[in-house]
Amino acid sequence: MVKLEDLKRINLLKNVPDHLLELIAARAQLSIFGADTELISVNEDVNVFYMLIMGQVAIKKEISPNLEVIMDYLQSGASFGTSAFMEDSKASYTAVCQEPCEAITIAGDHLASLFEDNHELAFHMMLGIAAQYKHKMDMRAQMIIKAVNENPDLKNSIKNFNDLTLVA
Amino acid sequence: MVDKDTLKKIGFLKDMPDPVLEKIGTIARVATFDEETIIFRQNQKLALIYMLVSGKVFLNSRSSSGHSITLDEVTPGRTFGLSALIEESSGTFSAVCAEASSIITISSEEMHSLFKSDFLAGHLIMAKVVEIFRPRMEKHTRYFIHSLTTHPEVSRFI
Repeated sequence: MVKLEDLKRINLLKNVPDHLLELIAARAQLSIFGADTELISVNEDVNVFYMLIMGQVAIKKEISPNLEVIMDYLQSGASFGTSAFMEDSKASYTAVCQEPCEAITIAGDHLASLFEDNHELAFHMMLGIAAQYKHKMDMRAQMIIKAVNENPDLKNSIKNFNDLTLVA
Repeated sequence: MVDKDTLKKIGFLKDMPDPVLEKIGTIARVATFDEETIIFRQNQKLALIYMLVSGKVFLNSRSSSGHSITLDEVTPGRTFGLSALIEESSGTFSAVCAEASSIITISSEEMHSLFKSDFLAGHLIMAKVVEIFRPRMEKHTRYFIHSLTTHPEVSRFI
């Protein structure tokens, strides 16, 4: 059980009405993690959805056996681990606490069953997640297009370039 | 008004239950656009979702340096402008008719009103958007890393 006030600090939930937040609050818990804790490991199943209250989490990707890139630093209000309630639950990144962190956690299967029972909650959550994805894609698409314009040969080495357009 | 059999030919909607398609049909309209019509411009706030019935549409992107590239050629049955469903979001490309085109348009405002009166429809449509966006985001990340690894300043460390 967590407080509604804590859930309201999470960006993804900012437009979610109180009666729906109460459903999440009843199933979620507040967890503390030490610095360097690996919350999510690349290619492993994600079972928990995390909503960060305090601290900083690094999202990492390995680009070669000897080089790792930090794709993002997540701070208070961010959420991650959406794979926990998706069909393909394998992580595509590693998430590591950069400092002691406080996070609201909820089991992915609990969230998935809440979505089955309450379409209003599912709608609000899916809308928020789609907006998060879109924001990230826009940022990366701009960087990729800029890189391609500076180096046209890059376009030939990228398969399915049209994937940048979000056409369904 | 667009009938559900026409909507079922759109890939994005084909798995939606009939009652949901019938409701979407009441807020959908068919518009025709001449060749070379600019449907919307890059960075413009989108108010409509577009589903191509016939014709062809180019999606172009222009970088800050002024270079323009065609990212995709949209063919019948495909949907673009899904960003309209997301508040404070704008398109990352321009859409231009490559030939005379017939397009189903749906107002995002009316779509959101529909979602609020029928949360099952809202859940199913937004879950479909997430299902489409998620693998695309992974690809964006892969392309981004690929472009990073080809950068001379980075490649010397690999």
